[in-house]
Amino acid sequence: MTAPHASSTAAPALRTGIDPRGPRFTAGVTAVLFLVVIALALLGLDTAALALAIVNALVFLWAAIAGVQRHPYGVFFRRVVRPRLAPPAELEDPVPPTFAQGVGLFVTVLGIALFFVVGPIALVVAGAAAFVAAFLNAVFAYCLGCQIYLLLARAGILGKRGATAA
Amino acid sequence: MTSHQSPTTFAHMDAGTVALVLAGLVLAATGLGVLHRATQGRARTVADSRTVSIAGVALGDRATLLQFSTEVCAPCKATARVLDDVAARTPDVAHVDLDVTHRPELASRYRVLQTPTTLILDRDGVVRARIGGAVRRDVVVAELEKVLAA
Repeated sequence: MTAPHASSTAAPALRTGIDPRGPRFTAGVTAVLFLVVIALALLGLDTAALALAIVNALVFLWAAIAGVQRHPYGVFFRRVVRPRLAPPAELEDPVPPTFAQGVGLFVTVLGIALFFVVGPIALVVAGAAAFVAAFLNAVFAYCLGCQIYLLLARAGILGKRGATAA
Repeated sequence: MTSHQSPTTFAHMDAGTVALVLAGLVLAATGLGVLHRATQGRARTVADSRTVSIAGVALGDRATLLQFSTEVCAPCKATARVLDDVAARTPDVAHVDLDVTHRPELASRYRVLQTPTTLILDRDGVVRARIGGAVRRDVVVAELEKVLAA
């Protein structure tokens, strides 16, 4: 897996606004799932922890490629939760939360890879990092992806003019 | 408790200890969030006054709201709306929104560690205040009035 820079090539059709509560709902579900990963790893249920980490990675991968609008938890939010809520005050660009899915993928894959080197502690550490990011997103609407994107851009890794032009 | 750990495997924790660890993690994350929220949108008066001059950027006659944004940044858009509106209601005050995604040297030069970051410049382009994170209208208006009164 490489650094998630491909998300900036989102198709124009995906640029329509989304309900900002969708990605936060998604992050909430993700945060709970990472707590379960950590719990399983600490309880010594390594195989189960690894399996759930892989499921989380696959969901991240799908959302980073297909766009956060097609995120399975996001679809659940749109079909089941959103009809019970008042309409949002404003809509949000789907590119930032899609980028964040790529960041989540990167962290999770790192944890899975290191599991085979240093053991279940890798899933605990990577799971804790992913949990904190998802929790801050869900509860405080804190945009970790923005910060990471900016730091990468400052380091000259991302955002070079024309670097991702099709 | 788990006092017999080897470097590669845990002595398995019991359910009560695991619950404590998870509760601690949730508490730590909540603390981080509260800390971060407290710093967002707060204006800092800038002591080391530097003059901003960026090629192709026209400053306002009396003051400038200089915003640094990135492409991948939802709060930048909300901030741009607030600053646009404040600038429109105040004569001779300009709002400039710079996307630093493709100009990382600007982010380094003005020490932009998060987006949005907003600098309030006086008539001479000297940095008077700095606001990290999404802005609050009342904070911007109060800082701008200080700059305009100076």
